Amino acid sequence: MFLHNYFYRLKCIFRDRQAMFWTLVFPIILGSLFYLALSNIGNIDNFEKINLAIVLNSDEAENTAFLETVTETDLFNITETSKDQAHELLNDNQVDGIILFDQNPELSVSQSGINQTIIKSFLDQYLQVSSTLNTIITDNPQALSSGLIDSFTDPTEYVTEVTPTRNNPDPVVNYFYTLIAMACLYGGFLGLKEITTIQADLSTEGARVSVAPANKLKIFLSSILAATTIQMVVIALLMCFLVFFLKVNFGDQLVYIAITCAIGSITGVSFGAFIASVVKREEGVKIGILIGSTMAMSFLSGMMVENIKYTISQNMPILSYLNPANLITDSFYALYYYPDHSRFFTNILLLCAFNIVFSTMTFFVIRRQKYASL
Amino acid sequence: MVIKIKNLVKRYGDLIALDHLNLEVQKGEIFGLLGPNGSGKTTAINCLLSLLKYDKGEIEIYDTPMHPEAYEIKKRIGLVMQNVAVFNELTVYENIDYFCGLYISDKQKRRQLVEEAMDFVGIKDFRKFTPKKLSGGLLRRLNIACGIAHKPDLIIMDEPTVAVDPQSRNSILEGIQKLNAAGATIIYTSHYMEEVEQICSRIAIMDKGKVIASGSNDSLKEIIKTGEHISIEILNPQNLDLDEISDFANILSVDLSGSQLTIKSSRGKNNLIPILDLLKHRDIQIGKVFSEPPTLNDVFLEITGKELRD
Repeated sequence: MFLHNYFYRLKCIFRDRQAMFWTLVFPIILGSLFYLALSNIGNIDNFEKINLAIVLNSDEAENTAFLETVTETDLFNITETSKDQAHELLNDNQVDGIILFDQNPELSVSQSGINQTIIKSFLDQYLQVSSTLNTIITDNPQALSSGLIDSFTDPTEYVTEVTPTRNNPDPVVNYFYTLIAMACLYGGFLGLKEITTIQADLSTEGARVSVAPANKLKIFLSSILAATTIQMVVIALLMCFLVFFLKVNFGDQLVYIAITCAIGSITGVSFGAFIASVVKREEGVKIGILIGSTMAMSFLSGMMVENIKYTISQNMPILSYLNPANLITDSFYALYYYPDHSRFFTNILLLCAFNIVFSTMTFFVIRRQKYASL
Repeated sequence: MVIKIKNLVKRYGDLIALDHLNLEVQKGEIFGLLGPNGSGKTTAINCLLSLLKYDKGEIEIYDTPMHPEAYEIKKRIGLVMQNVAVFNELTVYENIDYFCGLYISDKQKRRQLVEEAMDFVGIKDFRKFTPKKLSGGLLRRLNIACGIAHKPDLIIMDEPTVAVDPQSRNSILEGIQKLNAAGATIIYTSHYMEEVEQICSRIAIMDKGKVIASGSNDSLKEIIKTGEHISIEILNPQNLDLDEISDFANILSVDLSGSQLTIKSSRGKNNLIPILDLLKHRDIQIGKVFSEPPTLNDVFLEITGKELRD
């Protein structure tokens, strides 16, 4: 009975185009739109090499030292050229500056800007170090053997950078985490449908199931298990799409990520079952409530405006804890960002508590086997 | 005794849907529950199946009190609902197999039962169709197949022919008679008196949540005064004297509407031949003549003062 109902419910859910659209296709479309809209946000601060023309003098020894230093910095795309051609390149904006390397090196730029400032800083530092070394070598040649010069070319950092986080903050990943949270809660469509299907007061199919010699609890559990199975597969597919296709970074803690997906899926299904059983209105109203509440919860967890999540956690933290979408989102973010798991487990435990509340209330409503009206 | 309902009362707020309903159904019957819409037929069925709470009364099926967990009784019951109750995502075969599987766990046995059910209702050629691709008549047949595939001893059919074309309706009615011939007891609710008259061995007429009359088709008609109905088309009605017809024995009413003469007589006396003789003597030219025995509608009309289809 249990497996018979389970496998047929799997078939029904899988073939239900509306449910599959909302739980799988819609999040994939939304994820793709996020990707298109947000993919450049993280690249804004990426450094692009500065185009630099160098005009060399005839002293080859000095040229070699300077060229080595310029190349090692990895700051510049260097073009070695003649003075005239260098000015042509500068006028055509093909280079940001020209270094005329002679007895007294000169920098020529046609405008001011960050790139020009960087070239100037580099040149100043080079000249300053060269001058210092020359002075040392002239006044105190023994210093060459004491390793003093090495300290100029290989500066020691006295402050060690210790990151308190697992990864660097990324404003984009949170959007995708809220997307998964929304997809998890859209599992509510499946939970809602399963309850409707077994309740005599909600559907004719439910009436037919209710008159059969089948234990209501068994039917309920196998139907909900079928919905949860499909929802987990859907979330797994969505995750594959995000990770392999859109290259969203979820960190490397696969087991914990899987736990979040599983608990999130169960939360979504139990949330839908809860709405189906508690709300005493027609199915369209229930679906409206499900979509509306899911979107509201996703909004509050930062799906549309990233700062909302932080504003709420700063000013009304209780709301963060009462929002399953935020708990799912925050679980992913905690795995991505924080080195320990305390915040992650807090979120997961709260989600489990929601599941218990939703499931218990659903069971108390559906355990009735006789209805006041049909 | 297959079903025994005693003093069943069901209220929806101030409305009394079932008012001390009493019913008994014997093994092997096709028992008709006839009544207008809202008379309480479906409510009675839902209470019988333990789907609806009721305020008072007792229900026994196969001499055992009926309740939601009476699985041994439920195994013997098949339900064909007024509204089609199938899953749109499953094929014809899968739908029947799913509902049959709630009663029969043995896969091999079930496969055979599903084939037999499809054969019985004539939808074998549509086994891989989903319900959306079926016509209204075929959908009704699928609905029936889902209710009877597990070969129940008691089949409850709640208006199974609503919105069905005449051809499919006849097919369904024939099927019900076959099921009965194979040993099933059937409860058949309808507001189509012709169907009930055609197939039911015993009939209960319901109105306002009560059984107002019950018995066989013939016995019900015997409890009323109304006998035959005579309708005669009169081609020259100006020559007709209605009083002469009213003077015949057992005439209840005579009415001339246009060229249509309608005569109702009381039970037991056939007046058709004497009336035709009279018209002939008075040089009244006649067209079409009909004589009908009383119907269940007359029974309902005489008891309640309103038409069955009101």
